[in-house]
Amino acid sequence: MKRGHIIALGVFIALILLVSLGITFVGKVPMTTDVRPLGLFYLKNSYFGNYAARSPEVVTSILWDYRGLDTLFETGVFFLAIISALALFRIEKKEEKVKEKGEGFTFIVKDTVRIISVLIVAVSAAIALHGHLTPGGGFQGGSALAVVPLLIIVAFSKYALEGRGLTKDTAMIVRSIGLISIIILVLIPLAAGGYLMQNLPVFPSHILGQLTSGSLVFYNLFEYIAVGAGFTAVFLLLSIPEKVFHKIIGGEKE
Amino acid sequence: MIEMFLWALVLVSLMATLVISIYGIVIRPSLIKKLIALTILTDSANLLAIMIGYRLIYPVIPPVLPQRTQEGLSKFIASSVDPLPQALVITAVVIGMAVNVLIAFAIIQIYRICGTTDVRKIAEVMKDGKT
Repeated sequence: MKRGHIIALGVFIALILLVSLGITFVGKVPMTTDVRPLGLFYLKNSYFGNYAARSPEVVTSILWDYRGLDTLFETGVFFLAIISALALFRIEKKEEKVKEKGEGFTFIVKDTVRIISVLIVAVSAAIALHGHLTPGGGFQGGSALAVVPLLIIVAFSKYALEGRGLTKDTAMIVRSIGLISIIILVLIPLAAGGYLMQNLPVFPSHILGQLTSGSLVFYNLFEYIAVGAGFTAVFLLLSIPEKVFHKIIGGEKE
Repeated sequence: MIEMFLWALVLVSLMATLVISIYGIVIRPSLIKKLIALTILTDSANLLAIMIGYRLIYPVIPPVLPQRTQEGLSKFIASSVDPLPQALVITAVVIGMAVNVLIAFAIIQIYRICGTTDVRKIAEVMKDGKT
């Protein structure tokens, strides 16, 4: 670090402190102690009330019930981004396996990954399926699930996944199943004579005595599958060896 | 007073982080550094949105109903934070992740074709047509 950098950093930090002091003593700090009326409506109606989603988790009930259409289109944006990423990295010819055997990691890393992967799948499923009861949901659970293929790719190899049937195409099929199920769930209330994406009373709030908050648990489940599979496909593409691409693009940059 | 100062300090620091990340996006020539600055920008914007929903009271709890009774509900409303910004941010985080993946893929592809991630050199390579 050069001397000038240190001085600039010091000046910057002093400026931040001075401005905050100025705001504290001279101006008015923008702070709230109340919930805004819209937030208050959601807090009151999430579990009790006439417009209830029957979910104690207010954020999930906003996500998939009150502002459900927003989330639906945000899911659309998400999968458009994934599809574009896949389109950038597409390989039309069948990819040949790069035959190079290194030494690999020690058994400590490999066995740890074997144990941890099972744990992560269980934890991510719990995050997704309890999304209507505790903080969490489909997006979070799916992102956590996608860590498993990433770990396996790093510890073993991409071919360990593909040899067991989890190729890019399988991941895309699973992802499409998740998305189609979400669309069917959106359309079910219309068939039952309600509105698009209506939650209660079209879907039952309790199934077998367990609180499922209507459609929230199903949305979370399918979003979990779709996000996890989408990120898995991305990671599989990202781990294609550079040699394969050099062969396709022309590869004079060796 | 001390809470007010700390709150103002966090807000000003976040604003400064926003400004720094915009500087990074505009000035730094490397595409990788632009992407890093972009992720910092989205994260600090999300944090700012979360802070708008925060309540400066004690005790304050997350927007999850602790007891499913009417009595619990009134206690919950008195101390819970605003759930709406959190609901907006959670999708923004995941979408931001997907968009970052897309940008990273594009940068990797540009590096494969041009052999550099420096925007000035990319412009030269493209002009000369020697990919």
